[in-house]
Amino acid sequence: MLEHFLGGLAVVMQPLNLLLLTSAVFIGFIGGALPGISGVILVVILLPVTYGMEPTTAFMVLTAIYGATVFSGLITAILYRAPGTPEAVMTAFDGYPMTQRGEAGKALGIGVLSSAIGGLVGTVALIIFTPMLAKMALKFSSPEYFALAVLGLTVVASLGGRLIFGLIGAALGLFIATIGIDPLTGTSRFTFGNLNLAEGVGLIPVIVGLFAVSEVMKRTLDHKSHQPLKKVKVKIFDLPILRQIGMTLSRSSIIGVVIGILPGIGASTAAMVSYSETVRWSKHPEKFGKGAPEGIAAPESANNAAAMGALVPLFALGIPGSGTTAVILGAFIMHGLQPGPMFMLTSSDLIYAVFAGLFIVNFMILLFSKPFIMLFTKLLNVPYSALGPIIIMCCIVGTYSVRNSMFDVWLMLGFGVLGYLLEKINFPLVSIILGLVLGPIAESELRRALSMSQGDFSIFIERPISATLLSIAFVLLAVTLITPLIKRARRKAIT
Amino acid sequence: MFIKHSVKYATLALAMLGAATSASASDADDFPSKPIQFLVAAGAGGGTDNFARVVRPMFEEAIGGARITVVNLPAASGALAHQRTATSAADGHTLDFASTTLVTSLAAGQNPVGLDQLTPVARMQSDVMALFVNPERFPDFESFVKYAEENPGKVTVGGTHTASPDHVAFLSLRDASGLDMNFIPYDSTGNATANVLGGNIDATTTSLSPLLSYIEAGQMMPILVFSDERLEDYPDVPTTVENDWDLTDGNDRAIFVHADTPAPIMKRLEDAFKDVYDSEEYQSYAERVNLDYRAGWMGSDEYRQRLENNYELYSRLLQND
Repeated sequence: MLEHFLGGLAVVMQPLNLLLLTSAVFIGFIGGALPGISGVILVVILLPVTYGMEPTTAFMVLTAIYGATVFSGLITAILYRAPGTPEAVMTAFDGYPMTQRGEAGKALGIGVLSSAIGGLVGTVALIIFTPMLAKMALKFSSPEYFALAVLGLTVVASLGGRLIFGLIGAALGLFIATIGIDPLTGTSRFTFGNLNLAEGVGLIPVIVGLFAVSEVMKRTLDHKSHQPLKKVKVKIFDLPILRQIGMTLSRSSIIGVVIGILPGIGASTAAMVSYSETVRWSKHPEKFGKGAPEGIAAPESANNAAAMGALVPLFALGIPGSGTTAVILGAFIMHGLQPGPMFMLTSSDLIYAVFAGLFIVNFMILLFSKPFIMLFTKLLNVPYSALGPIIIMCCIVGTYSVRNSMFDVWLMLGFGVLGYLLEKINFPLVSIILGLVLGPIAESELRRALSMSQGDFSIFIERPISATLLSIAFVLLAVTLITPLIKRARRKAIT
Repeated sequence: MFIKHSVKYATLALAMLGAATSASASDADDFPSKPIQFLVAAGAGGGTDNFARVVRPMFEEAIGGARITVVNLPAASGALAHQRTATSAADGHTLDFASTTLVTSLAAGQNPVGLDQLTPVARMQSDVMALFVNPERFPDFESFVKYAEENPGKVTVGGTHTASPDHVAFLSLRDASGLDMNFIPYDSTGNATANVLGGNIDATTTSLSPLLSYIEAGQMMPILVFSDERLEDYPDVPTTVENDWDLTDGNDRAIFVHADTPAPIMKRLEDAFKDVYDSEEYQSYAERVNLDYRAGWMGSDEYRQRLENNYELYSRLLQND
C-alpha cells in the first residue's frame, strides 16, 4: 500500500500535474467561496475540459476541486455570514460573531487549520481503510440512518437560548422539509399545485436567505455601527488555540470520517452532527453561537473529513456518498472507467495517484489559503453600503444557478426577511437548519425501515447499531433535560 | 362588386396560404434561425445530462452549425423542463432531453405536460431493465420465485423513488408474476444497490449499465431481464417474454419538442439526430457507457406509439398500487 501511495505521489509531483492541481485548488477556492456555486456545479462545468486529459490527471483535478470547495465555503461564512457552500453553514454560527468582535483573523485561522486537519484525517482514512470501511458502511441501512438523525436532532435541547424557540425552529425546519413530492408515495405535499414546489424547498435558498440576506438587511436597516477592520491577520498555527480546540478537532474529524463514509448522507450532515456533539460535550454550551472557537473547529474539521470519507464508498464500491461524488462517479463513466467493487484492483495506479493528490491538496490549502483569504478580507474595508448590495447580488446569482430557477430566488429573499424578523427576537436559526437537514433523513428512513420490517417497530431494537445509537440519544436527551432540574433543586436546598 | 370582393379575398387568402407554406418550408431550410436550447429534465451530472452534453457538439455539426446552450431543469422530476418546452414557440429551437421518467411521472399525475403538448423527435438510448439480486442468496430466478411464494409479503425490492422507471418495472413484474412483494423507494440507484450488497433488502429492479461492475465482481447478478430476447453477454439469464409475460421495459433517453412543431422541422431534427446516432463518435460513447446492449434508436412516430402504450400500462399499474 505504501508502495502504491509513493508511486501515486511520484505521479502527482510531475510538473504538469502539480501545476494543474494548483489551478484546480484555486478554482475550487473561488467556487467554494461564492454562495451557491458548489462543488457539484464546478465539477460539471469542468468535466468536458478534462476529456482531453489522461484519466489519472483528470480525476486528480476533479477531486482537488471538490476538496478545495468544501474548504473555502468557510471564508464568506465567517466574514459575511454568507456560507459559500451548504457544508459551511454551521461555521457561520460561531465564525461570524468572532468577526463582529474583531477576531476575523483568528476565526479564519482556526477554520483553515481545522479544515486541513479534518481533510488529512479523512485522506489517511481513505488511503488506509478504503476496502475495509466500505464493507462496514454497507451494514448501515434505514434503521441506522434514522437513529443517527434522531441523535442529531436531540441536540436542540442542549443548544443555548430558550428551549421553546429551539423546538419551534426544529419543527419549522421539519415542516419545510416535508414540502414537495413525497419520494416514498409520490403524493404532493404542501405544493398547492405549484410545480416549483414539487421538488421541495432547496437547502441553498433557505441557508442563503436566513443567514446572508438577513444579515445584510440587519446591517442596512438597523444602521448598526460598523467599524471597518483595517487589518485582518490570519494566524493559522496558534498554540494556545490549538490546545483549546485539540479535543474538538480529533472528535469531529473522526465523526466526520465515519459519517462521510456512510453512503446515504454527506458532509453537511457531518458538520451538523459534530457541531451538536461538541455543544453537548462542552463545559460551556452557552458560549456556542456567540463566537466559540470550538464552534468553528468542529464543523470545519468534520465537513472536510466527511468529504474525503465520501470518496471511500465511491472508490471501493462505486456508490457515491454525496452529491458531488455522484457527479464524479458520472465523470468516471464518461472517461470509460468503471468504479465498482473491482475498481481498486483494476485501476489501483489511478486511485493511489488521486489519493496522493488529495493528500497534497490539504497542504496546499494550508499554504495558499492565506493569500486567497486576504483578497476577501480586503473587502471588509469597503463601506457596507457598497458591499451589502454586492453580497445580495452574489446570493441571487448563486441561488439562481443551482436549479436555474427564479422561484428559488424569491424563496431565498423571503427567507431573508424571515431570518431578519426571527433574529429580532433572538430566535436560534440553527434549529431550523437542523430540522431541515436531518428531518428528511429521519422521516424517509423511518418509513423505509418500517417497510423493510413490514411495519414492525422492533427492527430499531433488533439491529445492534441502531439500538446503540437510539439509546445514546435517549440517555443524552434525558441527561440534558434533567441536569438543570437537579441543579435548580440543589440551589433551592442550599437557600 | 360583391364578386369582386370575394375574388380579392380569395386571392388574398391564397397568397397568405402560399406565404405560410413557403415560410414553413424555408423555416426548415434556415433552421436553426436562432440559438437552440437543450433543456435537460434532470440534474447536472446524471445519465440524461451526460447524454445531452455529449450529443451537443455532434448535433451542432449534424445540423450545420448552431449556437446551443444546455440548461438543467431538474425540479419536479423534470416537469419544469417539459412545461417550458410546451410553452415555448413551436419552432424546434427548444429541445427537451428526458428519460422514461417523463411518462412514468405523467402516469403518476406528477407531471401536467402530456403527450398532447410534447412529441418525441427520437429515442437514442434504451437501457435494459432487469431484476438484480445477490447471487449468494438467490442463484437464479426460480429460487427467487420459490422464496417469494413461500414468504408472501416478506420480499423487499428496492429502486429509485416512487413512479420512477425502476418502480414501474417492479410494478409490472409484480403484476405479471402475481408474487406478493414490497417496493422500497430510495433516493438514488446507489443507495438501492448498497442495500442489496449489504443484504438489507432482497433485490432491485433497475437498468443494467450502472450495475455492470458489480456483476463482473460477482456481487450482483441479473436473474431476469425485461426484454424479448436474451442478452448476448448473459445467455443464461431468462427474459420476461420467455415467461409469457408481455413485458419489455427499459430506461429510455429521448429528445422531445413542442407537439405543434411543423413537420419539415421535425424531419430536419430527426435526421440530424439520426446522423449523430450513426456516427462513430456517438457509438463509441454508447459503448463506453455500456448502452450498446440493444439498439437505442427509435424514430419519432414509432417511439410515440410506444410511449402511448406505456403510458396506458403505467397508469393502470400505478393506480392499482
